[in-house]
Amino acid sequence: MDKVTIYSTINTKIRIKKRGFLKRGDYLNLLKMKSVAEAIRYLKGNVYYEKILGEVNPETVSRRDIEDILKRNMIKDIDTLCNYFHNDYKTFIHSLYMKYEIEDLKYLARRIFNGKEYREVEQPLSFLGKYSKIDPAKLWGANTIRDLIYLLKGSEFYEFLIPLIDGRRENLFRLEMALDTGYFNIIQSRRLKIFPRDKKLLKKWEGLVADLYNIQWIYRGKKFYHLLPEELLNYTINFGDKLIYKDKQKMCYARDTEELYRMTLDLPYGFLFKEEEISTDIFMERRINRFLYYRLRDLSRRSPLSIIQTVEYIWLYELEIKDIIAIIESLRYGWSGEEIRKYLVKKI
Amino acid sequence: MSVEKMKIMGIIGKKDFLDRVLRLIILSGNMHIINALSRVNSDDFFLPPTEKNMEALEEEPYLKLYSQKRDFSEDEKIVKLFYQVFNLEPQLRKDFLTENYDYNDFMRQFFNIYRDLSSTVNEIEEKLQEIEQKREYIKNLKYLSKFNLDIHYFINMKYLVFKIMRITRENYDKLKRNYQNIPAIILKVVVEGKNVILISITPETLEETLEKIFSSLNYTLLPLPKEVQGTAQEVIEQYSRSIEEEQRRIEFLKRSIEEYKIKYKDELKKMFSRLEIEKVIEGLKSEIGIGNKLFFMFGFVPLSNIYNLKDELEKQFKDELLILIDDVNTTSSGITPPTKLKNLGIFKPFESLIKMYGIPAYREKDPTLFFGLTYMILFGLMFGDVGQGIVLLLGGIILEFVYKKRDFGGLLSRLGFSSIIFGFLFGSFFGSEKIIPALIMRPMENINNWLILTVIFGILLISSSYIFNIINAKNEKALGEALFDKNGFIGLIFYLLLLYIIFQGIIRKGSLSPILIIIWLALLLAMLFKELLITKLFRFKKSSQKLSINEYIEKGFGIIEMLLSILSNTISFIRVGAFTLNHVGLYIAFLTLSRMMNTLWGNWAILILGNIVILTLEALIVFIQALRLEYYELFTKFYRGNGLEYVPVRINNMFQKEDKKTLEYKRERLFVI
Repeated sequence: MDKVTIYSTINTKIRIKKRGFLKRGDYLNLLKMKSVAEAIRYLKGNVYYEKILGEVNPETVSRRDIEDILKRNMIKDIDTLCNYFHNDYKTFIHSLYMKYEIEDLKYLARRIFNGKEYREVEQPLSFLGKYSKIDPAKLWGANTIRDLIYLLKGSEFYEFLIPLIDGRRENLFRLEMALDTGYFNIIQSRRLKIFPRDKKLLKKWEGLVADLYNIQWIYRGKKFYHLLPEELLNYTINFGDKLIYKDKQKMCYARDTEELYRMTLDLPYGFLFKEEEISTDIFMERRINRFLYYRLRDLSRRSPLSIIQTVEYIWLYELEIKDIIAIIESLRYGWSGEEIRKYLVKKI
Repeated sequence: MSVEKMKIMGIIGKKDFLDRVLRLIILSGNMHIINALSRVNSDDFFLPPTEKNMEALEEEPYLKLYSQKRDFSEDEKIVKLFYQVFNLEPQLRKDFLTENYDYNDFMRQFFNIYRDLSSTVNEIEEKLQEIEQKREYIKNLKYLSKFNLDIHYFINMKYLVFKIMRITRENYDKLKRNYQNIPAIILKVVVEGKNVILISITPETLEETLEKIFSSLNYTLLPLPKEVQGTAQEVIEQYSRSIEEEQRRIEFLKRSIEEYKIKYKDELKKMFSRLEIEKVIEGLKSEIGIGNKLFFMFGFVPLSNIYNLKDELEKQFKDELLILIDDVNTTSSGITPPTKLKNLGIFKPFESLIKMYGIPAYREKDPTLFFGLTYMILFGLMFGDVGQGIVLLLGGIILEFVYKKRDFGGLLSRLGFSSIIFGFLFGSFFGSEKIIPALIMRPMENINNWLILTVIFGILLISSSYIFNIINAKNEKALGEALFDKNGFIGLIFYLLLLYIIFQGIIRKGSLSPILIIIWLALLLAMLFKELLITKLFRFKKSSQKLSINEYIEKGFGIIEMLLSILSNTISFIRVGAFTLNHVGLYIAFLTLSRMMNTLWGNWAILILGNIVILTLEALIVFIQALRLEYYELFTKFYRGNGLEYVPVRINNMFQKEDKKTLEYKRERLFVI
């Protein structure tokens, strides 16, 4: 099959779906809202979101429920997209769930670590079991990190987690790290039988993501976790787009964040750090996301009829959920539109 | 055929006998237990004040329901262990239960054996764990076997830490690239698939740092024994020898278990049955009344069994029990007697379809016979085919006798039989009308007559359901209902008159005498003012039912609805004829298809496929349609089905080889001796 037969249908479908995304004007309007209920009522006015949020009562619904509804809809969307693909392409689409499930697993582990009750969950774990195929109800029942690891037996994550069980390392930090390394290991080592062009695009895109995450990781590891440079280096992602091993090594062995900041200025990603903002890490994350957002749209424009449009759609949807939730959350705390705007991935 | 007559049996006796009495009752399997207090408090309960009854009469007002619940979890644990270790199959056997025994004494004799046995089992488990541990050590020591040194020195170094571990190849690469910064000597021992086995030696002061670094590489530490002497090879041999020793010890322990088994096997086999019945007994006790010294229990027993049960109780307990046998008195006791259907074997399978609608009340007429007959006829009429009937008959027999699906299998074979009979009448064999002659007619050749015939058959059935309703109402002593109800006598006359009027006036276009119409209207009014008539005619009845205007309006609509439903019920029977035709029609369709095939092989393939479709799909539809006719057109007229099913206490699955539901014993590898 050639790329036209594969991608003409799916991309048409995606183009139609993308029409459902909020427009710039929508965001501007949302920012003007005074309360959560008002914002949700506005969303329900949008054709696409009206279908999703139809049943919701704007007065009583919680931020958590909204997030859950949106995420579950995202799952439904990805499942639908899956139907348009075959063989290894299907495997690939399915593996997109992995990232989100890992996020949920990490959250679940944190909850276990803090000894919280079921009802106190702040974040919906909609993706639990989506990739691992483990029954979410079982995972919820885990009382210790060890339980959680054993419950994941049979999934691809298990082999990365089982070495942790030695009495000293079954802690939250190691689990999170093992899941993350596991994730990048899996996506790097898979041998998909897809078009070389698609493979190249994916490599480029995933390398880009890996680069940015590596920089963020090294920075955070230095600033918050005070890890040894060797540890820091061991936990970096093994592949990348523009960063080479030497760069990473140099960054890991930087004396402090100050030196690290100076080093990044020479790298292609120097723009990520703004010295005056360095104390507010959330901006760094937002900047990474915003950069990825524009890079992805750029990639998609330059390689029409490829796998990247599907990746783009899913990422854009995820980022849109992030933004909507950020707006709702900020409205709840009564922030002004000007302030909220700073925290959005999209440039409004 | 009918609903079996019941009597209420009451048993009063000393509390010590309770367990044994209950055991006997469960084994006899005839008593439908009812709550003792509601029986004692019912109006018709009477204990004659004789010498013999004195004690019972004294205690009667102070009865309480048995409330203690005994916990059998300990006993279950014992049974489970014995059956697991001795590899016994849990079996429910009657001969173990009929022996005269006391449950507590019986169980007590096993307590010591249980203690011995569980310590032996624990020892075996410990030994197995030790063996496992040593096997792991041997595996890890093998990595060191190429060094011809006393490993004692390695493992117990004072200032250096020696470790052997496994990490993935990717992580090993990370380690190698940054080796200049790692504070240890690293030695690659061997590459195993995706993993690398490493040895690390580091000064104790740097151990903590190294541990962090290895943690970030997600390592798995391979444990080594501490207290050993000699080279790795020597230690491995040492361990292999001790594993053998331990295995011999395990063998010895297993043999001693075997000895226990031989010694106590026969007694142990009884344990499961006895525990199971004890659990059932305990469950029953909540319905039993307990006084100071006596217990009171009551239950319904079918007339045919009650005297056998009484004899048996008297034989075992002599004069110790007071046995009361009372008649069922539905009007005053407030206790609903259960219904046990009693039918000839031929009609037994149809009981399951009756129960699907509802169990007949104790005084109601059991419709099984009527239902069975009409259902078979309806099915045969709609699906008359010798060939397919034979397939159904055989399928039913196989289901009944091979797969033990008695109800459904029996049903299928009877329907198949009826289908064969009607197949001969219509001359149909696997759909084809060319192979055998028709004994009465071919419906396809006389479509109109056939449809009219089936409607007439329907009218017969509907009329008989009116008659059933009249009989049922009479049995319930509701004479007024029997006469004036819309499904009663007047209803029947009204229905027949209506049919006559339609037939005479509309179909034959003949003249109608006006008297008929007047009578018909009078009957209509009689049904409308049913309550008024009943109070007027039967003065002894209290005129409690005075209806308001609104209710009369409602009833008026009810009458209109009845008129419509009478007609639709009757017309409904056309479907019987339609399905007869449909059966032939479907075959013709497949025949036409098969003629379009060019090969003989294709020809037959289509015909067989067609027959399969007809046999599965059409038979199912006909099965449902016939059921529908029975339920909606007939049962709604006369059958209430609000009875209570007779459920005697008994142990199910007696004599079965293995009862997986009650005991899920997983036999672990260790215990398969």
